[in-house]
Amino acid sequence: MKTGIRIAAGWLASVTLTAHASVHDHVFANGFQPPPDAPASADDAARFLTQATFGPTAADIARLMAIGYGEWIEEQLAKPATLSEPTVEAVVNARTAGAQTVNQQQRLNRFFWQAVYAPDQLRQRAAYALSQIFVVSDASSAINQDIVPMAHYQDLLATDAFGAYGQLLSDVTYNPTMGRYLNAYHNMKGSATTSPDENYAREVMQLFSIGLVLRNMDFSPVLVGGATVPTYDQNVITQTAKVFTGFTYMDAPTGSGPPNYTGANFYGGGLSFAGKYSPMACWGTELFPASGTGSNNMRHDVSAKSVIGGATINANQTCAQDLSDELVILAAHQNVAPFISRQLIQRFVTSNPSPAYIQRVASVFDTAGNDLGDVIRAILLDDEARNPPALVSGDAYGKLREPILRLTALWRAFNAQAPAADAYGEIKMIGSGGFQSNLGQAPLESPTVFNFYLPDYQQPGTFADNNLYSPEFEITNESTTYTAANKYYDFTANAYQGMPSPPTDRPLIDLSPLVANISNPTAVVDAINADLLYGTMSANMQAALVTMLSGTFSTGATAQEKAWSALYVTMLSPEFATQR
Amino acid sequence: MNHSSKSRREFLRNLGCVVCGGAASALIPQLRMMGTALASTSSFADYRALVCVYIAGGNDSWNLLVPYDSTRYNTYMNSRGGVYDPVNNAGGLALARPAGGNSQIVTDTFDSSQYFLHPTLVNLASVYKQNKLAFLVNVGTLVMPIDMVDYNTSSTSRPPQLFSHADQENLWHQGNTTAGSTVGWGGRCADNLQLQGANGTPIGNGPKLSLCVSISGANRFEVGSQVVPYQMSSSGLNSLRGMCNTAPCGNSTTLRDTALNALLGATYAGDFSAEYAATFKRGRDLYAMLNPGLTGTTLATTFPTTSIGDQLQVVAQMIKLSKAQNYASRQIYYVRLGGFDLHSGLFSSNPNDTNDHAGLLTQLDGALGAFWSELQAQGIQDQVTTFTASEFARTLQSNGSGSDHGWGGVQLAFGGAVNGGKLYSNGQGKISGFPNQAYGTGGNPNAFSRGQLIPGISVDQYAATMAQWMGITSSADLNAIFPNLPNFGTNNLGFV
Repeated sequence: MKTGIRIAAGWLASVTLTAHASVHDHVFANGFQPPPDAPASADDAARFLTQATFGPTAADIARLMAIGYGEWIEEQLAKPATLSEPTVEAVVNARTAGAQTVNQQQRLNRFFWQAVYAPDQLRQRAAYALSQIFVVSDASSAINQDIVPMAHYQDLLATDAFGAYGQLLSDVTYNPTMGRYLNAYHNMKGSATTSPDENYAREVMQLFSIGLVLRNMDFSPVLVGGATVPTYDQNVITQTAKVFTGFTYMDAPTGSGPPNYTGANFYGGGLSFAGKYSPMACWGTELFPASGTGSNNMRHDVSAKSVIGGATINANQTCAQDLSDELVILAAHQNVAPFISRQLIQRFVTSNPSPAYIQRVASVFDTAGNDLGDVIRAILLDDEARNPPALVSGDAYGKLREPILRLTALWRAFNAQAPAADAYGEIKMIGSGGFQSNLGQAPLESPTVFNFYLPDYQQPGTFADNNLYSPEFEITNESTTYTAANKYYDFTANAYQGMPSPPTDRPLIDLSPLVANISNPTAVVDAINADLLYGTMSANMQAALVTMLSGTFSTGATAQEKAWSALYVTMLSPEFATQR
Repeated sequence: MNHSSKSRREFLRNLGCVVCGGAASALIPQLRMMGTALASTSSFADYRALVCVYIAGGNDSWNLLVPYDSTRYNTYMNSRGGVYDPVNNAGGLALARPAGGNSQIVTDTFDSSQYFLHPTLVNLASVYKQNKLAFLVNVGTLVMPIDMVDYNTSSTSRPPQLFSHADQENLWHQGNTTAGSTVGWGGRCADNLQLQGANGTPIGNGPKLSLCVSISGANRFEVGSQVVPYQMSSSGLNSLRGMCNTAPCGNSTTLRDTALNALLGATYAGDFSAEYAATFKRGRDLYAMLNPGLTGTTLATTFPTTSIGDQLQVVAQMIKLSKAQNYASRQIYYVRLGGFDLHSGLFSSNPNDTNDHAGLLTQLDGALGAFWSELQAQGIQDQVTTFTASEFARTLQSNGSGSDHGWGGVQLAFGGAVNGGKLYSNGQGKISGFPNQAYGTGGNPNAFSRGQLIPGISVDQYAATMAQWMGITSSADLNAIFPNLPNFGTNNLGFV
C-alpha cells in the first residue's frame, strides 16, 4: 500500500491500477458438436444479441449458435476497440480545408456507423453504456466545439471498457474533455478569496463511483437506526475539491525551468487536437516548487486533504500522488461494485434486477482487478439475463428499449447500406439529426451530467406504486412517442434500397426479403418477428400486422410501401419498445 | 409505507367509496386522466393557473437582486470577490452598482430599502414597479426552521443531500423532504383540485385534459397520486407521420393507423409494454382533442424564439384554448430553462454570449416579458401566477471563474394577483430579512464558509401560499400535501 494514506479500517481492499495482461485472448478449441452453452434456438441467440450488441444480424446469430455464449463473449472481449477519433479528425480537417462548417454531426455520424458496422459490438455497446454513467455532453458550451476531443473521449470509454475499473476512473479523471465539462480543468488551488471548484469532486463520487448512500453488495441501502447513511458530506466535497486542482492541457508551456520558469503559461496549450484530448497535465510540485521563486506557477493544492471515509491525503505530495491516492481510495470503496454493477445491468438487461442478481455481479466486480470485462460477462451469462420469467400479468422483468437501440436494431436486422463517403470522407448516418430532441437521447448529448434518465426514475402509476424503476420512461411521454415515431419514419419510409431518389445522408434498409413474400402477409410478419422481436411477437400483434398487409392499400402503393409500413408500425409497437 | 398508496386510499375515502374494495385497484389506472368518477361540473367560479418556471442547475440568484445602499452593497461586492472585470478581475462575481436613477433600481415598499435587479432583467423590473412582481428572499429546502447552531447539532434537522442537484431538485418539486417520494406538490394540488371539480368537459368521448401540463418533459412537480402531467413539446403538437391524424385519410394511411391503434389499445401483461401503450394512446387521444383548437389559437404577442420563449408561447396558447373550451378551471404548467450550473463562466467577456448568467437571464427576461404582455392582451393577468424555482442558489464566494452550490436564494412570483413591489423575507422562522452577505469570521452566523446561506423561508411555505391561492385552503388538506408545513411559523407568506 502506498505510504501517506490513513484509511478507516474496513474500507481498504486490495486494488491496483496497473494494467494486467488480457486474459481474454485464447485459442478456441474447435469441435464439431454444438458447444454446451449454445443458444437453444435462433430466437434465444437473437435475444442475447439484443442485450449484448446494437441489434442481432443473421451472421451474428449463426456465429453465436456455432460457438456458444461463453466463447462468443471471449471472442468479443479480445477484439480491439474500433476507434472514432482518427476518422472524425480526418473528416473535420477535410471539411475545414474545404471551408465547410464542422459540428457534432461529424462525431455522431461516426458513432452510428460504428454502432451498426463495427465488429467489436460488445465493446462498443459497453462503451455506450459507460457513456451514460461517465457523462460528458455537448450540451455544455465549454466543450461543444471540441468535436474531435469528444470523439476521443468515446474511444477512451471503448478502450477501457474491458479493463480495470480503476484504470477507467483514472483515465476519465485526466481527460481534458471531462476536465472542461466538470471544471477540473484550470481548477485553481484556493486563495484568500476563492476556494477550488467542487464540481468534479462531487460528481466523481456521486455519479462515477459510490453514489449518495452507503450500499450493501446487493445494492440495498445500509440502514442505521432505520435511516440511510450518507457516503459523504459537504466537508468531504470541499476537501476533495482540493485534489482536483492544477489541471491544464498537456501542451501548456511549463517554461524554461528554474528558477523563474520564464514562459510558463498555465492557460496555454490545446494547440492541436492531440493537445486537447491527451491526458491533462497537473501543475504540482513535480513541475514547480511549492515555495520560493517560480512557486506562483504551481496551481495544485498541496495542503493535507480529509477525503472520504476519514482518509487523509498527506500534504506536500506531487499532484500525481494526490490523484492516485484519491482514486485508489474511491475505487476501493464498498459502494463501487453494487453502484456500477446495478447501472450496467440496467443498460444491458433489466431495469429491476433482483438484489441477488446485483450481488452476483457485484461479487465479480469486487474480485482483484475489478475487471469490467468479467463484469459484463457475469451480467450477460447470469441466469436472470438468460432465462426470463414467464410473461404473466404484472410482469416487470426487462426494460424499455432505448430509442437509439430501436433504430440500430432496425439497421442491423435489415442490412442497412450506408451511403458512400462524401468528398470529405464522411459516411452520413443520421439524416437531419435532431436525435436528442426527438428521441430524447443521443450519444454524449445528455442535457446534464445526470444522463438522459436517472437509474432511479419511477414512472408514475404502476412502476411508482410498486417501487419499480423504469429509467427510459423518463424520456418517454406523449410528446416523445410522437417525435421518435416521426424520426423512425425518416429511416423506414424514407430510407430503403430501391426507392426513387434515395437520400444520401442515411443508411438504406433492405426490404427485399419482405418484398419477396409480400403476397404472403403471414410470412412477412414471421420474418419481422424473428428479426426484430426474437420470436416473441404476440398473436394479437401478428394479427394486427397481417390484417394491415392483407388490406387494400391506396392505388399505386408498392410492395415496398407495404413492407416499410409493417416495419414502421413494428418500430412504434409496445412490444418492440420493450426488451425482455 | 408507500406514500402514494396511502394517498390513493384517502382519495377513495373521499369518493365515498363508490368503487371500493377489490374493484378499486382495477379501476385505478383508468382513474388517471379520465375523471368521470369525479365531479364534472366545476365548483370554481373563476379560472386560475400556476406556471412554474424551473431554473435548472442552481441559479446564482444573489445576483438577481442586490442591495443598493452603499454599506450593504460593499459587503456584497467584497463577498463576491469584487466587481467582475474581464481584464483586471476575471474571478470577481459582483455586479457593478448602477448610478442613481437607473431603471433597474427598485424599492421594497415594505421598508423603503433599495435594491437593483440584474441589468438584463428589464421586463421583470418593470413588472416589479407595477407592483405585480414579488421577490421571495432566502428561500430553500428546510425540514423545520433552523439556524447554524441547529444545523451543527442535529443532522435530522437538515434536509437530506444538500448541495446535490438531483436531490435538491426533487425536494423543490415535492415541497417536502420526504425520502423516496415520487409525487410533487403541483400534482398533489391537482389531485385535490380535481376533487373540488376543477376538471372541465372533454370533447366527445375523449379523455379530459390533465390539470397539469408540462412543456418540458417529465418532472416530479406535476405528478400526483392520481394526476400525471400531459406532456407537450415547445413546438406544441406534432402530427404522426404516415398515420391518420385528421380523418378522412387514404387507404394506406388508414391501414397503418388502424394497425397502430390496435396495438396501442391492446392489453399487455408486461408493465413496460402496457405503460408505453397507455402513454402513446393518451397522446393520440389528446392530439385529436387539442389539435383542432390549438392550430386556431392565435396570440397577440410575438414571443422570442428561444427555448424558454417557445415553451411559454405554448403555455399561453394552451391557457387561451383551455379557457375557451373549458378544459379546466384550474391548471398547472411547467417550463424549464437550464444551463445555470455556472461553476465557471458565470460572467463572459463576450457581450453576445448566450450561455453565461447574463445571457441566460436575458432569455428568461425576454420570455417572461412576452408572457406578461400576452396575459394582459388576453385580459387574464389576474388569473395566472408565474413563479420561479431552482434547486439552490450558489456560493457568494467565487471559485475563480464561477460559483459553486449554495442553498437559500431568491425566487420571484408575478401576476395580477400578486401583492408585488415587495420583498418577502420573513417566514416566521429563526432567520428572516434580507441576509447579511458577509461570511466567515465576523460575518453572517447562518452562512457557511463560502457564503452558502441557511434559508429563512422553506419551499413548503412558498408553495403552500400558492396552493391556497389555487383554492386549497383547509389546514388538513395543506398539511396532507406539505407534511412539514406545521413545523413552520406560517403557511401563507402573503405574496399572492
